[in-house]
Amino acid sequence: MHDETMASGVYLPEIGAAAERPVVNSRTLQFHGNAEDYFRIWIVNVALSLVTLGIYSAWATVRTRRYMYANTCLGGSPFDYLARPLPILKGRLLTALIFGIYALGGQFFKPAQFAAALLIAAFMPWMIVKSLMFRARYSSWRGLRFYFTDDYAGAYKWYLGVYFLMGIPLVAMGASSLTGHPIFGALLCVIGMIALYPWIKGNQQQWMVENHHFGGKSFKFNGDMGSYYSIYGLAALVALAWFMPTTGLFGALSPLLKGQINAHTKLPPISFVLAVYACMVPLYLGVWTFVHTRMTNMLYNQSQLGTYRFRSTLAYWPMLGIYLTNGLAVLCTIGLAMPWARIRMARYRAAHLEVIGGGDLSDFVRDAFSHGDIGATATELDSLLGIDIGL
Amino acid sequence: MVPATYFDGRSTRATPVSVWREEAMLRWRTADRLLEWQAPLQAIEPSAGVIGLPYTLRLVDGAHLQIEHDQLPDDWFPRHHRLERLVDWLERRWPAALAGIAVIVVALAGLFEFGVPWAADRIASHIPSSLENAMGTRSLAALEGHLLLPTTLTTRQQAHYQAVFQRFVQNMHDLPEVRLHFYKAPAIGANAFAMPGGTVVFTDELAKALPDDEAFIAVIAHELGHQAHHHMMRQVLRGSGVFIVAGMLMGDVTSLGGITAGVPTFLINAHYTRGFESDADRFAFDALARDGIDPVAFVHAMQALQKAHPGLNEVEKDLRYVSSHPMTVERIAQANKASQAFRAHATGKTTAAR
Repeated sequence: MHDETMASGVYLPEIGAAAERPVVNSRTLQFHGNAEDYFRIWIVNVALSLVTLGIYSAWATVRTRRYMYANTCLGGSPFDYLARPLPILKGRLLTALIFGIYALGGQFFKPAQFAAALLIAAFMPWMIVKSLMFRARYSSWRGLRFYFTDDYAGAYKWYLGVYFLMGIPLVAMGASSLTGHPIFGALLCVIGMIALYPWIKGNQQQWMVENHHFGGKSFKFNGDMGSYYSIYGLAALVALAWFMPTTGLFGALSPLLKGQINAHTKLPPISFVLAVYACMVPLYLGVWTFVHTRMTNMLYNQSQLGTYRFRSTLAYWPMLGIYLTNGLAVLCTIGLAMPWARIRMARYRAAHLEVIGGGDLSDFVRDAFSHGDIGATATELDSLLGIDIGL
Repeated sequence: MVPATYFDGRSTRATPVSVWREEAMLRWRTADRLLEWQAPLQAIEPSAGVIGLPYTLRLVDGAHLQIEHDQLPDDWFPRHHRLERLVDWLERRWPAALAGIAVIVVALAGLFEFGVPWAADRIASHIPSSLENAMGTRSLAALEGHLLLPTTLTTRQQAHYQAVFQRFVQNMHDLPEVRLHFYKAPAIGANAFAMPGGTVVFTDELAKALPDDEAFIAVIAHELGHQAHHHMMRQVLRGSGVFIVAGMLMGDVTSLGGITAGVPTFLINAHYTRGFESDADRFAFDALARDGIDPVAFVHAMQALQKAHPGLNEVEKDLRYVSSHPMTVERIAQANKASQAFRAHATGKTTAAR
């Protein structure tokens, strides 16, 4: 999650004011990093982290992340990553402890693991706020830091509360099955989900953008919920379009595999498992990339900071191509292509994000928000548990 | 004079300046010399050097100077970031990067071959047996009624096997409390396995497939090997260790997704299991020999198993690298070797007695 922070994060600084000038400038983000340098930085830091049994990993994280941040420039000035290694190290140790309890708890006492999972779910919105605060707090541009409001109530509302709303269609389905209309109930459930999900996603974006601040100004979000319905509607069509060739491919492969399925063993042969993966991965990636690309564009295109607007022009096919080739390259090199993959992605993302506005980006001022330190644990925890904050 | 950009920390205005050092002071001014600033070197916090990145010199009031990469004179801040200076030196060199790959391979291999097993086994030796028993009871309860059904062996057959089992166990030392349970398991077929806490599960199908009592004892001896060395608990702890270590590695070093993490975790766990199986086999050969039984009984048991699972050989070709058990052929070869040693020893003793 973090590696793409700079390119995908919300904290793009903008300038306000200077409305007198009718000239509207468009500035594209620039990414200057290169895979050769980043590879050496990455590999040396991974090696040092392993040799020191993870202690050095906090320093490694700061260095590699700084490389990505400081190579991303807007208006000729780089972004900067300011987090300190020691708080990250402490957060990491705490995370390892929690993770260990979770992993072991399941072996001895299942309810413990279940309780831990519930607890994590209950704390999820809190962690989302904490990690967004941490990331914003330690991202800066031209000496000013970003800031994320500690809006816990909003987080619980949009990242936990609304999911209970999704229970309503489920209850409705149960109720109508009981009264003898199961098909009607299922229909009701699907309609309910379709009606709710894009609305939830849109509001999550709005909440996230509007709690970010930079240079004395708050990000504004012109949330138009209708566009989210069209994104997810199109996504369903994309899924359908991917589904047909996938089933075709699988249908063509299965006679070849049938001979290999051994009647005496319950386990399918490896070639069969691999074939299923080969068919499923493009389907999954094809749909996920579509949603991700459109949602990222939507996020920036509806955001505003002062008089500045953003334009994100990520396109589906190039993004899919990058994800596919990156994935293949990383797999084939057992991970060694990871730096190259990250650099490519950051470069593409930067090149497709513009900041549009009349000023010269020099009119932001230090804001009045408190600049206290924020612990790194939440960020570490959610990076480990792989929660995507929805960007 | 070094070119730099000055940011006052209160706004995003960028001011191009020239910086120079005068003794313990750093001074900078604009090109038109209208504005000039200064700060003691001591009060400035420079950023650590990273290849290609500009240096940031942070001043106490939140302002900073940005100096292009490699234009910062070495003697300005010689005492800062000593560790990271060394890291930076390494990061600039391809030989260091190549050495890094080698270090990673060796470190990962060492970690998973020795580090995780060592730590897990240390912890396992401190785990109270009550916890191990609880684990076994829980796992057994989860299987009973689904995969494990009530046995269909006659009371006489059961009594016979239990008697053989008890006699064999009595002659062994250093064994935790063990018990033998029979189950009918059509879904599993001929098999036997050890549960944490001393229970050995034996399926009716296996009992019927085995040719004689010696083959039965051979299987029992193998399972007792698992019990004697607490393999189940150690496997659980090692598996959790791999899970935690892999999670930490994936979480922040490589950020690979969960799917890619699953494959190596699975392979490493299979590797540990294989080690435990060979260990239990060795234990069985020794136990059989000590009891005066030719380890060839183990070969008979393996052959009976193969007959009960005719598909096994073909699958093995497929699964050679991921199988959790050593290959049957290898195990039979080991058993035959143990049998030869047993016979040579027996002959030697007989000769000596004469």
